[in-house]
Amino acid sequence: MGTAKEYTIDELMVVTLAKAFTSDDIILNGTVSFIPVSAVLLARATHAPGLTWVAGAVGVDAQPGSVIGNTLDPTMWKGCVMYLPQYEDMWSYVHRGTLETFCIRGAQIDQYGNINNSIIGSDYHKPKVRLPGSAGMGDMGSLDKRVFIWSTTHNPRTFVKKVDFRACVGWLDGGGSRAKLGLRNGPQLVITDLCVMDFEPTSKRMRLVSVHRGITPKQVQEQTAFELVMPASVPETPAPDAEYLRLLREVVDPKAMRKIEFRGSATKV
Amino acid sequence: MTARKEDKLVSLQQAAALVRDGDTIAMQGMGTQMSPLALVRELIRAGKRDLQVAMVVGGIGLDWMIAAGCVRKVMAIIINLDEFGMANNFRRAAEAQKLEVEEYTEHQILTRLGAGAMGLPFGVSRSGLGSDVIGLHPDTTKVIECPFTGKPVIACRALEPDVAILHAHRADRFGNVQFFPKPIWTDVDVFPRAAKKVIVTVEEIVENEEIRRTPIHTGIPYFKVDALVHAPYGAHPCSLFPKYNFDRAVFQRYADESRTPEGTRAFLDEFVYGLKTHDQYLAKLGGTAALKRLESWD
Ligand SMILES: CC(C)(COP(=O)(O)OP(=O)(O)OC[C@H]1O[C@@H](n2cnc3c(N)ncnc32)[C@H](O)[C@@H]1OP(=O)(O)O)[C@@H](O)C(=O)NCCC(=O)NCCS
Repeated sequence: MGTAKEYTIDELMVVTLAKAFTSDDIILNGTVSFIPVSAVLLARATHAPGLTWVAGAVGVDAQPGSVIGNTLDPTMWKGCVMYLPQYEDMWSYVHRGTLETFCIRGAQIDQYGNINNSIIGSDYHKPKVRLPGSAGMGDMGSLDKRVFIWSTTHNPRTFVKKVDFRACVGWLDGGGSRAKLGLRNGPQLVITDLCVMDFEPTSKRMRLVSVHRGITPKQVQEQTAFELVMPASVPETPAPDAEYLRLLREVVDPKAMRKIEFRGSATKV
Repeated sequence: MTARKEDKLVSLQQAAALVRDGDTIAMQGMGTQMSPLALVRELIRAGKRDLQVAMVVGGIGLDWMIAAGCVRKVMAIIINLDEFGMANNFRRAAEAQKLEVEEYTEHQILTRLGAGAMGLPFGVSRSGLGSDVIGLHPDTTKVIECPFTGKPVIACRALEPDVAILHAHRADRFGNVQFFPKPIWTDVDVFPRAAKKVIVTVEEIVENEEIRRTPIHTGIPYFKVDALVHAPYGAHPCSLFPKYNFDRAVFQRYADESRTPEGTRAFLDEFVYGLKTHDQYLAKLGGTAALKRLESWD
């Protein structure tokens, strides 16, 4: 398969996230999740045909064809094998770990992958900015999920040393603190408009993995308000395969709904 | 009002009168889906005050109610307009400290309602362990030790709303309420069971015999329903899957105009205050024939 020369950052983010999914994953999605849902559909159409996706946490193994509505919308349940009753079934599968993979974005993300989408400010009850709320991330952080984090706003306002409000539990205070609380799994990968990061296995600090074309590790560090674990050499994020890109553009997300997620981004797509 | 096997059909105005100022109401909804918005518009026109609204996902209807000054407190996990962005009136009211926000994780608020539904003092969850969400409301969620394993769990205090308000596909006059494809949503399930009173608006009223032919679709039995209102397109501009999709044009307009209080006011004047009845609302949108355009799901 050849790699593409012409691609945009939204496309690179979707393809890179798709590559992280396998046929063993059982993934459910939440609100405003165009990039992960596109990645799920793309992975399933390529290297991960066995991947299970529960659309909007309702439509089991849904086959909407392409991204045709917002990510919690019933349009996306098309062709599913079951409408999952929420109160009993969905929450049972989530608690017992059957549904194990979840993707999260937030207004603030810290060095241990804790996430905040609730408030900006030092006093919850006197917020400088009132954000939408913790939603599914409040649950999934504590319920043993393998969490994939994405963000279209890689800047010091989003990537902060410590979140103002810990809505979603990541690696907590790093090291063994998450395990000590009895929580399994945790944040795996962070894909932004500038780079890909993971978590250093012992300290659980965020670590640079690769930089997108035209971006330097130094630029990433400047746009991050905490010190990243910086390997001696940092490769460029592999360009998308041409076939992945074609499927994304023509089949998975032909309306380019994923670009809605770049509203507040400095990266133009 | 009792919930016996008797005719529950009332007008929107009569239904709204069952909600009192200061009530805790459990309101069905999502960012763009399934919400009793005809009733919400009536509650706004009726000038309700000091409501405490419990939802899982708050959306456009809650944002209107906050803008109209109906709401003292919200209990929810997220409030947004989904792909259309922030719920601006919620945001402004919270930032101005004019609104109390009691934020939960989804499983915490469901556990509170589940305990309420069963008449138990509390239920337990692990959701949110280690997060700052727990510390927000020590009088309703508390980390305790499991009496059997010694592990930490979260006790979630029972919540019994005064009234639940929902929109559904159809019902008979007794209030046997049906959902299509079937009742799968949390708020359709636990909200009415936890609430003291239940008000449902429906697209269609059918005969009791029709319900008996299709009981698999019934999500709420008559004995739990206090009032029923016939309101076609009663979730508009939200969707009611599989009957109609959300109205993208109205959502986009509201997302744009609600960026300022003045814009919000103009929107509410046009879509809520300026119309006295649900029939007038439908007429404004071109009538039910025009709304057929929302029946496409592609
Ligand atoms: C992150 C999210 C809030 C961004 O919202 P958006 O409307 O696309 O993007 P914007 O960047 O315009 O942000 C909205 C507002 O919040 C403000 N904001 C966002 N992050 C901020 C931060 N770190 N500090 C201060 N303000 C911030 C913005 O300035 C903007 O306000 P403004 O219009 O007054 O400038 C939104 O995409 C979201 O809720 N995502 C969650 C997805 C998710 O994780 N789903 C699964 C779990 S349910």
